[in-house]
Amino acid sequence: MRQFESSQEQTRRQFFGRCALNLAPVALVSLLGQEAVASPTSMALPDADGPNPLSTKPPHFAAKAKRVIFLHMIGGPSQLDLFEPKAELIKRDGEPIPESFLRGTKFAQIQEKQPKLMGSPWKFAKHGQCGADVSELLPHTAQIVDHLSIVKTFKADDINHAFAELQMNTGWRQFGRPSMGSWVSYGLGSESRDLPAFTVLLSGMRPRSKSANYGNGFLPSAYQGVPLRSSGEPILNLSSPEGFSAARQRRTIDVVNRLNVKRLEATGDGEIAARIAAYEMAFRMQSSAPEMLNLADESASTLQMYGIGDVSQPSFARNCLLARRLVERGVRFVQLFHGDWDHHSNLASGLPSQCKQTDQPSAALIKDLAARGLLEDTLVVWGGEFGRTSVAQGARDATVGRDHNIDAFTMWLAGGGIKSGQTIGSTDELGCFATADSFHIHDLQATVLHLLGLDHKRLTYRFQGRDFRLTDVHGNVIDKLLA
Amino acid sequence: MAMKAISWAACSLAVFLVCLATAHAEETTGALPPPAGQTVAFTSDIYPLLQKHCFACHGVDVQESGLRLDRKQAMFAGGKSGPALVVGKSDESRLIQLVTGANEKQIVMPPEGQRLSAGEIGLLRAWIDQGANWPDDLPQRSKGADHWAFKRPVRPVVPHVKNADWVRNEIDAFVLSRLESRGLEPSPEADRPALIRRLSLDLLGLPPTPEQVARFVADPAPDAYEQCVDRLLNSPHFGERWGRHWLDLARYADSSGYEFDTPRSVWRYRDWVVDALNRDLPFDQFVIEQIAGDLLPSATIDQTIASGFHCNAMLDPNLRWEAVLDQVNTTGTVLMGLTVGCAQCHSHKFDPLTQREYYGLYAFFDSAGISNFELATASEKAARDALQAQVDAVKKTRTEHEAALRETLSTWEASLSGEERAKLPQPALAALSTTTAERSPDQLTKLVAARASQDPQHQVLSREIDERARQVPQLPATLAMRLEPRETRMFVRGNPERPGEVVVPGVPAFLHPLGSNEKPTRSDLAHWLVAPENPLVTRVTVNRLWDRYFGLGLVDPSNDFGVQTPAPEHQDLLDWLATEFMARGWSGKAMHRLIVCSATYRQRSSVRPDLQTVDPNNRLLARQRRLRLEAEIIRDLSLSAGGLLAATLGGPSVFPHQPQGVLEDRATKATWTISPGADRYRRGIYTWTWRLTPHPMLTLFDAPDASMACTRRDRSNTPVQALTLLNDPSFLECARGLARRVIGAAASDPERFELAFQICLSRDPQADEIELVNALLQEQLAELSGDLVAARKIAGVDTGTDGDVLQEAAWVVVCRAMLSLDEFLTRE
Repeated sequence: MRQFESSQEQTRRQFFGRCALNLAPVALVSLLGQEAVASPTSMALPDADGPNPLSTKPPHFAAKAKRVIFLHMIGGPSQLDLFEPKAELIKRDGEPIPESFLRGTKFAQIQEKQPKLMGSPWKFAKHGQCGADVSELLPHTAQIVDHLSIVKTFKADDINHAFAELQMNTGWRQFGRPSMGSWVSYGLGSESRDLPAFTVLLSGMRPRSKSANYGNGFLPSAYQGVPLRSSGEPILNLSSPEGFSAARQRRTIDVVNRLNVKRLEATGDGEIAARIAAYEMAFRMQSSAPEMLNLADESASTLQMYGIGDVSQPSFARNCLLARRLVERGVRFVQLFHGDWDHHSNLASGLPSQCKQTDQPSAALIKDLAARGLLEDTLVVWGGEFGRTSVAQGARDATVGRDHNIDAFTMWLAGGGIKSGQTIGSTDELGCFATADSFHIHDLQATVLHLLGLDHKRLTYRFQGRDFRLTDVHGNVIDKLLA
Repeated sequence: MAMKAISWAACSLAVFLVCLATAHAEETTGALPPPAGQTVAFTSDIYPLLQKHCFACHGVDVQESGLRLDRKQAMFAGGKSGPALVVGKSDESRLIQLVTGANEKQIVMPPEGQRLSAGEIGLLRAWIDQGANWPDDLPQRSKGADHWAFKRPVRPVVPHVKNADWVRNEIDAFVLSRLESRGLEPSPEADRPALIRRLSLDLLGLPPTPEQVARFVADPAPDAYEQCVDRLLNSPHFGERWGRHWLDLARYADSSGYEFDTPRSVWRYRDWVVDALNRDLPFDQFVIEQIAGDLLPSATIDQTIASGFHCNAMLDPNLRWEAVLDQVNTTGTVLMGLTVGCAQCHSHKFDPLTQREYYGLYAFFDSAGISNFELATASEKAARDALQAQVDAVKKTRTEHEAALRETLSTWEASLSGEERAKLPQPALAALSTTTAERSPDQLTKLVAARASQDPQHQVLSREIDERARQVPQLPATLAMRLEPRETRMFVRGNPERPGEVVVPGVPAFLHPLGSNEKPTRSDLAHWLVAPENPLVTRVTVNRLWDRYFGLGLVDPSNDFGVQTPAPEHQDLLDWLATEFMARGWSGKAMHRLIVCSATYRQRSSVRPDLQTVDPNNRLLARQRRLRLEAEIIRDLSLSAGGLLAATLGGPSVFPHQPQGVLEDRATKATWTISPGADRYRRGIYTWTWRLTPHPMLTLFDAPDASMACTRRDRSNTPVQALTLLNDPSFLECARGLARRVIGAAASDPERFELAFQICLSRDPQADEIELVNALLQEQLAELSGDLVAARKIAGVDTGTDGDVLQEAAWVVVCRAMLSLDEFLTRE
């Protein structure tokens, strides 16, 4: 069992032994050059065994994916109207659901004992060489199906959004556990020297469990997801206060770090070296984050592909493009949240609207990554915390909707080690339960870690006397997904 | 260790098992694996094998098919399907048939988890063939009976040391004797400025003033240090500093958590903690009142408030059991140093806690409810109740009126003009277009609502309800526990939806007995926890004190005293402290004084090259350790340096500056109106905590999320922290305050530098340090003189002469650097 805690202590010591005691003070000071470029980072964030908790660490075994983009569709997209054509459901539209389909089923809101079946009003067709079923609501996704593994049979345990979100993102149905992105940055560190290893982009409605979905739980806060805010400053306190030009900020950090070096010499505490590095990275972040966010260097055709009209307006489309820019810059885990897909009512108007906001950019992201050779080692995951029922909720008029279904719902994966152009899993004729290849959320998590070269059973962190993991005591890698 | 088995939902388990059985039968039909060719020993060969594969379903917690395999007699008696084995004839033994799948009609055992290997089956067969010998004298399975932490601490003899002059109290004798045995020297004592800063930060979480430092440095009294300690221990800020540590354990917050995260009023509990520590309430009483203050005979208001400890669990009205589980787990973690939560689903894998015993603890808290305890007189409550009764009466009238409206819906419907119809809301219109017979209850309700909104009498009643409701006063209240007897059932595999057998309150058998009370209550549990026989509570508590002072517990991990944690190097010191704690009447302050007065505590914190290989983690304590301060303390320190800190104690939580957008888009709206006046400059302990959307600065510096007890905070070190210290408006405000303070107090730059260092670091600057900051100052004066617009922005002032603004701005730049120093954020 790998214990990063102790290995970090060790590397910290090695580092300290090497830098603080063996290096002449003069050498240290000289590294703190006047110029921003001649930063002490080369000293304090040198390589894999530096003292920084985000230094890159080797995976357990050879990785297929180096980074992840997770498109979390908050609220639960209706798989029956997007990926799951069910002729039988259309045929029996309006009939009460047979009792045999109600055993063990929970509804979140529907009170009726035997609610009525509802076929999809949207047309489906087979797309791509793989012949995947996609509805007319996702014309752009239909163009990329040969890149995707579409899984129709994920299952979750919690019927409520807040807890289902947490299970999807932290493997646990309660608050307090580290999120997937935190586990990944803990396990592999960062490849970016000036952007957060785990970056979060939010659009539309926010997840119900808020920052717990990208929190570090009991892991050190260095691994917490850093949200790029859509209004105001993109990262909290990213810009210097008014009156503090870049040069003034640079000079201030120089003095801070020179005084810090003196303290490092006096005390020998390696933690100070880590703080020096943190200030240098903070300074770099102040220029690299705005640079990353500035879409002026993107071509008109790229913006068009993503469907971005006004680059200054926050949107899911803009976030998809930012996701590509982030992974290009070495960010390990990018998570997008977009809501709200929770169509208990007004499915007829709400679902097309959500699709319009997300279909084109999601597909553009895949095309763009593929065109830039990034899809090979970037894993992209699309899906909600659960899916929706085959029965109608509410009156069968314009306001009708669907309730939550946790037993079988669709997600897709692409890139980084994922077998392309296939559909996995099948559900019964009404789309209620899996009939083959049922996969739990923990299996998804085990697979994501596996593709990153991490064994979900070995990626542990000791807290309150117990070794915790993302998949708790569950999870199996989904072999069928692997290329 | 499953804390919650997720396999509950496996409704198709039976199908799954049959499939497995069939699949496996194909593999194993035919010859059984041969018996092992050796003489088999039960204790070493067989028992571990049964334990690994069988006990989960045929052991102490569960006996599927009535079969139990962890006891000799039970095994030979067999289960519902008959005897498990035929002694001497393994091939005829049911046990062997089941584990091999020899009988095609039967499920192969175990149905889940790893199957027995051919070698293991061979051993089992050989054991049966050789007479199935199970020695009677085999000790009962009693994991942990010999575990050091489960035995009462025995007061050790204080060791003799060579360098007796170094020893200031018993702690030092224990530490030094270990150092001497390894040929190591302790570190020299830190200098006085460093000592007083360390003491002030540790005991109060506030820096000493430059005057206090100067006085202490010049104090010729031989007990100057002890006097300083006593002064600090008597400060009311002591309770705030150590209260915050305790609130981490109590998972204190101002809201209920979960998606809806509603606000709650429990700050009086926080104030109770601060006050209890300040008046040095003996720790046993401190525990008793928090676990069961409400149940004490003629409980005082204060004692009832104290029971708020377990009301701090996150609360969702639909998930009551989650709060109770948390109360059990928190009790285990905080007071017993044990991870008991594992036993929610199965008996603990390592520690001797059974699942049944877990629910014995659960039963104590299950028979409690969390109530809104009103802090008002009987007449105040009566007056309020009378007003509320009036509201309820009008509400009843309105409900009756609504029923009447519903009865006559068809008349109303017929009377509607086209214009009136058009004004109706969409759902009501939809309902109208449905025939009367086909309308759903929901549609009916919407129609009645639409009619009511047009009905004058209904409107009058609604207005009256609103007016009267406004007159009902909100009485001050706090969350407190109260007795609510319930029958408790175990959760099968930890699943709250599968209630199992009834359990009664009780304590684990591997610890001392509870006493003779037939129906024990939380109060009995509280007294049991702090009974002199309890081997854990004192050790866990003194160890945690040690952890806070030295950055590492004597026992590490500091929260696991279970059998996986071996006796620590310094067990004698730990046990001495534990017994001393009780001998001093559980006085917390006595223990604080003892620790901080030791020579061990007073050592320098510098890293020593000679210790790097022999003791890299400083377990031998040949030096002190530098510790990055906690989130709240960093805030307190900056406010204090900036002369802004409002040192008022207690009261409702406050709302200091927080970046925009933190509370956006919550399911339940939350407010954050910045507190007026000095309240925005209160200490961090008083900042309002929304669990769902905590203050970003606190989270960033590792303040806990209050989802469960936090026994030890991380001390991370990140770029986003650096951005906050440099750029956050709150910290800039402190830098401006410090600049004004320094300029106002001293006339010359050298004096100002001296004062800035004294305020921030409690020491004088060195020549080369002055050189660095002076270079910055002069350069900024020069630069800003050409950019007075920037100068005004930096200084944050519109008025004042150009010269004054320039001075101030350049000093703000310097002070902002000072407040960002590692040394400033660190207890050295």
